[in-house]
Amino acid sequence: MPRRGALAVGTLLVLLQLAFVPSPLAGCLLDPCLEVTPNTTFRCTGLNSSGVPDGVPNTTQNLDLSFSNLKSLGSNYFESVPELHLLDLSRCHLHTIEDNSFVDLHRLSTLILTANSLQHLGKAAFHGLTSLKKLVLVETNRTSLSELPIGHLHTLEELNLGHNSITSLKLPEYFATMTSLRHLSFFSNMITSISRGDLDALREGNRVNLTLVLSLNRIKSIEPGAFAGVHLGELALRSAFESTMMQTSLQGLAGLQVSRLIVGDFSDSERMQDFERGLLDGLCRVQMGEFVLIWFKDFEEESDTLFDCVGNVSTIRLVGLGLEEISQVPVWSKVKQLECKKCSFEDVPAQKLSLFKELRVLRITKNKRLKNFKQKFEGLSNLEVIDLSENSLSLRGCCSSRFQNCPNLKHLNLSFNSNIGLTGDFINVKNLLYLDLQHTTLYGPGSYPVFLSLQRLIYLDISHTKTEVKSQCTFCGLNSLQVLKMAGNSFGDNRLANNFKNLSRLHTLDISSCKLEHVDQSTFDALSELKELNISNNKLMTFSPGVYQPLQALRVLDFSRNQLTVLLGSAREILPGSLVLLDISQNLFDCSCVHLDFLEWIKEKQELLQNKELMLCHTPSYVANVNLPSFDLSSCHVSAGQIASPVVVLLCVLVLLLLIYKYYFQLYYSVVLLSGCKRYAERGDTYDAFVIHSSKDQEWVIKELVEPLEGGKPPFHLCLYYRDFLPGVPIVTNIIQEGFLSSRNVIAVISTDFLESKWCSFEFDIAQSWQLVEGKTGIIMIVLEDVNKALLRQRLGLSRYLRRNTYLEWKDKEISRHIFWRQLTGVLLEGKNWNHEEVKLM
Amino acid sequence: MKTSNALLFILVLVYINASTGWPTHTVCKEDNLEIHYKSCDPEQDFAFSIDHCSDIATHTFDIRGAMVLRHSIKELYVKLDMIINGKTVLTYSETLCGPGHAKLIFCGKKKGEHLYYEGPVTLGIKEIPQGDYTLSAKLTNQDHVTVACADFTVKNYLDYY
Repeated sequence: MPRRGALAVGTLLVLLQLAFVPSPLAGCLLDPCLEVTPNTTFRCTGLNSSGVPDGVPNTTQNLDLSFSNLKSLGSNYFESVPELHLLDLSRCHLHTIEDNSFVDLHRLSTLILTANSLQHLGKAAFHGLTSLKKLVLVETNRTSLSELPIGHLHTLEELNLGHNSITSLKLPEYFATMTSLRHLSFFSNMITSISRGDLDALREGNRVNLTLVLSLNRIKSIEPGAFAGVHLGELALRSAFESTMMQTSLQGLAGLQVSRLIVGDFSDSERMQDFERGLLDGLCRVQMGEFVLIWFKDFEEESDTLFDCVGNVSTIRLVGLGLEEISQVPVWSKVKQLECKKCSFEDVPAQKLSLFKELRVLRITKNKRLKNFKQKFEGLSNLEVIDLSENSLSLRGCCSSRFQNCPNLKHLNLSFNSNIGLTGDFINVKNLLYLDLQHTTLYGPGSYPVFLSLQRLIYLDISHTKTEVKSQCTFCGLNSLQVLKMAGNSFGDNRLANNFKNLSRLHTLDISSCKLEHVDQSTFDALSELKELNISNNKLMTFSPGVYQPLQALRVLDFSRNQLTVLLGSAREILPGSLVLLDISQNLFDCSCVHLDFLEWIKEKQELLQNKELMLCHTPSYVANVNLPSFDLSSCHVSAGQIASPVVVLLCVLVLLLLIYKYYFQLYYSVVLLSGCKRYAERGDTYDAFVIHSSKDQEWVIKELVEPLEGGKPPFHLCLYYRDFLPGVPIVTNIIQEGFLSSRNVIAVISTDFLESKWCSFEFDIAQSWQLVEGKTGIIMIVLEDVNKALLRQRLGLSRYLRRNTYLEWKDKEISRHIFWRQLTGVLLEGKNWNHEEVKLM
Repeated sequence: MKTSNALLFILVLVYINASTGWPTHTVCKEDNLEIHYKSCDPEQDFAFSIDHCSDIATHTFDIRGAMVLRHSIKELYVKLDMIINGKTVLTYSETLCGPGHAKLIFCGKKKGEHLYYEGPVTLGIKEIPQGDYTLSAKLTNQDHVTVACADFTVKNYLDYY
């Protein structure tokens, strides 16, 4: 008994449990509907109520009601959503679909009914579905095709009846009218036999686009003639047969015409079948374009019949076979393409493969045991492509000797193997156009010129091959090369020197991850046609304009993941106008404002730059990891303001100095007032009075004041500016020190000239302040008779003073003069210290 | 024929409020080996068992697993993270269903279908590490959607031979 059938009771119990777990839980957890695309796509999974949810508008085109508990569908069930294109009813616990359930859905193209154990399906259940293209009835408890009411669905393109219990492939007649049908799947059903007439409906019309899947069935027999005259696009027969019935069943395929036939198993199939002698004999009478044999395990000695009946097929794919040797090849083989994927060869079976004289493409891939390549391909004059990638090949002396008389070999893929030694002998394969050696450890390249004879090669991939380019002539001979990929290797001294001098046709160059630290000046001189340069993930610190200037055809430049701090103006200038993609991300950018022009350039070139989100500032530390394109340039402009502030301060100081210069007198006086009073007071009263007068009144002062007062008795000592002020001392200092500080009284001679003199008014102001602060010196006002009273009134401070204080008036009359002298002498006598001499004189 | 193995397929699904998560299931409970798992997919739990827990010491062992697919698995990828003390120390990933012709039977199953697998599992590493750790497993499909997700708590002190 096959193991797959042994689903024990316990297992089934769990499965059943699982089937019912999600729905009650989901029903109480999820919101009724999720609007995936506004107005058109709604997902309402896990509903516990029947009917289309109220929130779904009539414009809805895609509706997902999967995992809901709908139980049954009645007529006009979906009339509220007539625009539907896709309706998903997966696992909705449906047991009944009544007539006309979908009758309103004229536009519906996809109906999914997966995993509903339908007990009752009305005869008119699918009526109205005039546009239906895809109907999925997987796991819906179907047992026969005849009861399926789909005869009117002429537009159907895909009908999936997988995982059901259909026992017969007897296609009802209406399949003849389904001319658009492209995919018909009976995957995992119970079909046991296919009889003559079962596929009659497919005989008529053009079915070259139809894929018929019969995998995972239990076919015991196919009646000869059942497939005669049937023309299919693809027929899949994986694990389709009862274990021992495959050989005889295949006989029944006689007369079939098919573009692709897939026969075989699954890797986890319980029914894995041994390959017996003559197993595929039935295919001799099948006409096919491509034959796929997949996941057969035990090929033994009997396998030599493998190609007996498929030798006339143009394409053969052998996947996951335990094939250790290539079977006997029929002499009339017409195989053009042969692929052995995941087979069990230990040596490349070149000798036997050479018998496929028509062979054009050969692929032997993903074969872990394949280590040796000792045999030679010989005389395959049509061979163009050999793909030996992803094996474990380890060979020396590649490659000419392995290919005798294969003059048309253009494409050789030896990538992802263990290790290969290249001798430089490519004489027999000198017409190679493509050579792929990536991820295979190479011996030879880099040390000496191994590619000399590959003059026509246009594509070379030696990425990650542990090659160290030491020789200047590493790529000599590759004069036609357009693409060179050599990422993940290294160069001598980590320096790119004149290695590419002959590669003038190069379009694409990948030298990423090559540990490069320096690029010499003339490195790219010959690469004037280069369109793509990938030099990322190296250790380059500069982008020197001189080095990259020759690359005037460049369209794509990847300079990411280096140690570039800035792209200088000169470097930016030489970037060719043809450049469309530039990647300088993940470098160590310096974002200080010194490089403001670079930062501005980045902002301008947003369209050109790639991976902008990975362009981060590295220095200075306060902007580390700031994204470069979104860098705030205004911070640089603010610093200009910071420069301006000292200027402002300087200006203020200047203004202050000017003010000080202008108001020096007042300031000096204030200083004296505030701090110097006591010190000056000690000077004592040298004079009896300080006379404030205009220089124009000097004559009057001498005649009427000085002579009578100083010459009279008692003699008074007056302070006069023209006489007593010290030379070499500022006037202000004299006024204060000699005048006010040394005098007991102040005599102000008010005349018209006094009012006009600035010095006089200054002196008077000080006298007033002095009187206020010290409360000592009295001001004796003498108003001369010819003073203009109107002018006097204009001098506000003075006129107010005169109004409030008694003053002396000088009149040139004898009697008035007498009174004047008495009053003045009286005032001056007050508080005078008489010394001895003066007393004696009296 | 391994019908008897089905008897080992013991699973107790306890319905509890989903807000507290899915229950923890026991896969193995022996002297030197304990394996429990808990689904970390908010949408559903799943069934999983190992036929002979002691086989885990060998390179290949038989498992059974079942679930209802919430998403189609045209392609299926598995990723395993080994977590010790909250830190991921090992990551392993493999393609179970790649593009092109399906290798395994269940590849290509659709949303809503049952997924059931019984058969051998071969790990890419020589042996399952000893000690106490968590294995976080995640299955994703062609659209990078999580198909299933589980945290396995492992206490493994088996002797290897």
